[in-house]
Amino acid sequence: MPSRRRTLLKVIILGDSGVGKTSLMNQYVNKKFSNQYKATIGADFLTKEVQFEDRLFTLQIWDTAGQERFQSLGVAFYRGADCCVLVYDVNSMKSFDSLNNWREEFLIQASPSDPENFPFVVLGNKVDVDGGNSRVVSEKKARAWCASKGNIPYFETSAKEGINVEEAFQCIAKNALKSGEEEEIYLPDTIDVAGNNQPRSSGCDC
Amino acid sequence: MISDGVEDEEKWLAAGIAGLQQNAFYMHRSLDSNNLKDALKYSAQMLSELRTSKLSPHKYYDLYMRAFDELRKLEIFFMEETKRGCSIIDLYELVQHAGNILPRLYLLCTVGSVYIKSKEAPAKDILKDLVEMCRGIQHPLRGLFLRSYLSQVSRDKLPDIGSEYEGDADTVNDAVEFVLQNFTEMNKLWVRMQHQGPARDKEKREKERSELRDLVGKNLHILSQVEGVDLDMYKDIVLPRVLEQVVNCKDEIAQFYLMECIIQVFPDEYHLQTLDVLLGACPQLQPSVDIKTVLSQLMERLSNYAASSAEVLPEFLQVEAFSKLSKAIGKVIEAQVDMPTVGVVTLYSALLTFTLHVHPDRLDYADLVLGACVKKLSGKGKIEDNKATKQIVALLSAPLEKYNDIVTTLKLSNYSHVMEYLDGETIKVMAMVIVQSITKNKTQISTADNVEALFELIRGLIKDLDGSLTDEVDEDDFKEEQSSVARLIQMLYNDDPDEMFKIICTVKKHILTGGIKRLPFTVPALVFSSLKLVRQLQGQEENPFGDETATTPKKIFQLLTQTIEILSSVPAPELAFRLYLQCAEAANDCDLEPVAYELFTQAYILYEEEISDSKAQVTALHLIIGTLQKMHVFGVENRDTLTHKATGYSAKLLKKPDQCRAVYACSHLFWLDDHDNMKDGERVMLCLKRALRIANAAQQMSNATRGSTGPVSLFIEILNKYLYFFEKGNPQITVATIQGLIELITTEMQSDTTTPDSSADAFFASTLRYIEFQKQKGGAVGEKYEPIKV
Repeated sequence: MPSRRRTLLKVIILGDSGVGKTSLMNQYVNKKFSNQYKATIGADFLTKEVQFEDRLFTLQIWDTAGQERFQSLGVAFYRGADCCVLVYDVNSMKSFDSLNNWREEFLIQASPSDPENFPFVVLGNKVDVDGGNSRVVSEKKARAWCASKGNIPYFETSAKEGINVEEAFQCIAKNALKSGEEEEIYLPDTIDVAGNNQPRSSGCDC
Repeated sequence: MISDGVEDEEKWLAAGIAGLQQNAFYMHRSLDSNNLKDALKYSAQMLSELRTSKLSPHKYYDLYMRAFDELRKLEIFFMEETKRGCSIIDLYELVQHAGNILPRLYLLCTVGSVYIKSKEAPAKDILKDLVEMCRGIQHPLRGLFLRSYLSQVSRDKLPDIGSEYEGDADTVNDAVEFVLQNFTEMNKLWVRMQHQGPARDKEKREKERSELRDLVGKNLHILSQVEGVDLDMYKDIVLPRVLEQVVNCKDEIAQFYLMECIIQVFPDEYHLQTLDVLLGACPQLQPSVDIKTVLSQLMERLSNYAASSAEVLPEFLQVEAFSKLSKAIGKVIEAQVDMPTVGVVTLYSALLTFTLHVHPDRLDYADLVLGACVKKLSGKGKIEDNKATKQIVALLSAPLEKYNDIVTTLKLSNYSHVMEYLDGETIKVMAMVIVQSITKNKTQISTADNVEALFELIRGLIKDLDGSLTDEVDEDDFKEEQSSVARLIQMLYNDDPDEMFKIICTVKKHILTGGIKRLPFTVPALVFSSLKLVRQLQGQEENPFGDETATTPKKIFQLLTQTIEILSSVPAPELAFRLYLQCAEAANDCDLEPVAYELFTQAYILYEEEISDSKAQVTALHLIIGTLQKMHVFGVENRDTLTHKATGYSAKLLKKPDQCRAVYACSHLFWLDDHDNMKDGERVMLCLKRALRIANAAQQMSNATRGSTGPVSLFIEILNKYLYFFEKGNPQITVATIQGLIELITTEMQSDTTTPDSSADAFFASTLRYIEFQKQKGGAVGEKYEPIKV
């Protein structure tokens, strides 16, 4: 198979509303940060070129709505993901507790071929807030959870200060690349010798 | 033919996916062999699958995502083609040869994305061209997805400030214009869906529209992410244009959803600075739009913003946010005459939370909100809607949570008025919330007026409310409730005795209304709280200035007697009995002989008349003896009367062993260590002899019945009493009396009729060891014990 397929790596960012998914993506892709909270609607991606072992890849980073009400079309975009990033806010226990749900929901919906070894990366965001004084989820606790789920790589980040963001996405890209998720190989039932393939849709002519 | 079942849809989706995959396969082959012509042909055929009209939005999205992923590969190919020398302008022309318009436009958007990236033409022009061309699809579902595709591929190529696509000709205005135009077109398509198809499918149609809404809303998200949309631009262009579309589309679903989006996707500062405009749009929406939810969400958002940092509060003041919101709410409620109570309360609850966060120092604002709420509730009677009462509890809990202090809340004059509209059950729930807040925060409630107001608020716990027939109250819940009330009573405190006395009187007044089930919980709490005050006053001179109104222990005892008397209505004689004795002890410490005597008399009356269970009698009698032994306030006459009675009671107990033990305990009533004038050795001896006689009688009875143990240990117990008084120097207890008893016990234990009793053996052995030990001590004690032969 030619290498074209593997130059695009698809990454999905999941987590509760307000943990900083959009901010992490913006910090990584655009090196920008805004303190203002803006809800995300639906799913939305940005791309970034990354160099890895002398090869250039395009990272397609999908930012998602943390609020359920802004996810009206469902999660068909999970399909074909190469890595899933789970984000929580170290200052919110609830957002940490939700990680399990997000992970399970992803595995159910995306149904990767090898769920046991599908690459996740966990980010504990907002470590900058209040000089760390308002923190409620300890690093130990987070690492223990990651260890229990098959040694998920863990990073403590601050999208605001840009702490660990680059490192985290390096790891994300690396794991996405290593991911065994080959695209489903499609072979047509009949080889159309004439190359004359009639579209079978039945919509109107517009 | 209607066959739009789920199964059919699955089939159509599967067919669509199969067609798509087959063409994608050939497209890949063409890409691998760099065959542009075939690549275009197969990609167009692949995209034709999106022309279907048979799929629901969810299923269509699935198909769309698959096509979307394939188009990324095509996009990379186009990019490589341009690097190989193919002109992007030619490509842009070439893809337009596709036969069907939908595939054609998908391809055009894909090439367009590469075109913008190449910077061979201004981004603005390409974007404008694309957004115009998309008008070619007027089928709502297909049009929405196509435009969503356009917005996704152009997302990172907008000529935003600081973007690489910004130029002299391309400004952020063009970016915004493009997104706004796409948004407007999408909203039109989305609204038009409502008016297509037969009326009977309305429900299905609305469900489909609801699934598609995020495609439209996403444009607003993109706008909020555009760097160049600063406050001015938002105020002057973005918001007015978006609202214009919202208002003019006259569609209920769109209006509600888009208002929600505006509130959620744009930052708080923007909302504050454009409150007039945003709120001004509300009355222009369709009457069926759920404005209360929209406004509540806005207020909730702004409340959180205010709570996030004190630094932002001036922004709120500067724009007079409270008065604007307050007015807007008033208008909405007035306009929507049929708004259910829950709606009204939800709005005021949100406004109250808002003002508590933004103006914590303006209690008058909070009271104003509550007052407005009362006004709307008046005339509606008790609220029976479950959701509405829940909202009221939320409304009333808000000030407590904010101030953590009921005293502050009590200043809200309308607070109790709101409670009047609650049903009995909810009043109780609310009362528990209040009591728990006080206990949790250890709030000091220190004036009688506040106590009065507080008990008025928590009356749901204090008494049975009219109408709330106490059907099946859970016993444990009731206990917990009343224990909370008891705890609360103990927490009321003021240093100043006069005020404290007033507090006690207030509490008394309220708990008297509680009925027989509550009194056993509340009366003890009040008694002990009052005794605390007595202890505080104790030692101070009784009424030094002859002031009639001054709080004196005597006055408190009067009140105490009255309070305990109430328990007779329950009746709870054992509890009342204990409380009398507690009070008597306190009266003793205050040197109030008549009071103490009266209290004892009350306890005696209860003992004689109300306590009939033999076990309860034993316990009660030992309490009497214990308490009486500590009393030093009584003169000879009173003391004689009381001790005489106590010994009398002892001899009348039902069982001999109980009699014996009570009688020997009475011996202590005649021998007070610290009071030389109360050491009557003779009467001590009389008691002990009497106890011995009873023990003898008990032994004979038990011999008669065989098998029952006990009497021997009674002798040993009496021996111990002998030793106690012997050591204390009671001249009546001599070596001979002790020696006699030891011998008696020894004989008893060796007698055949006595059943072996190991615990009695051990008890006796250790008593003898004690004597031995005292002997060996030497000195005065040793000398005293020396003659006793063991």
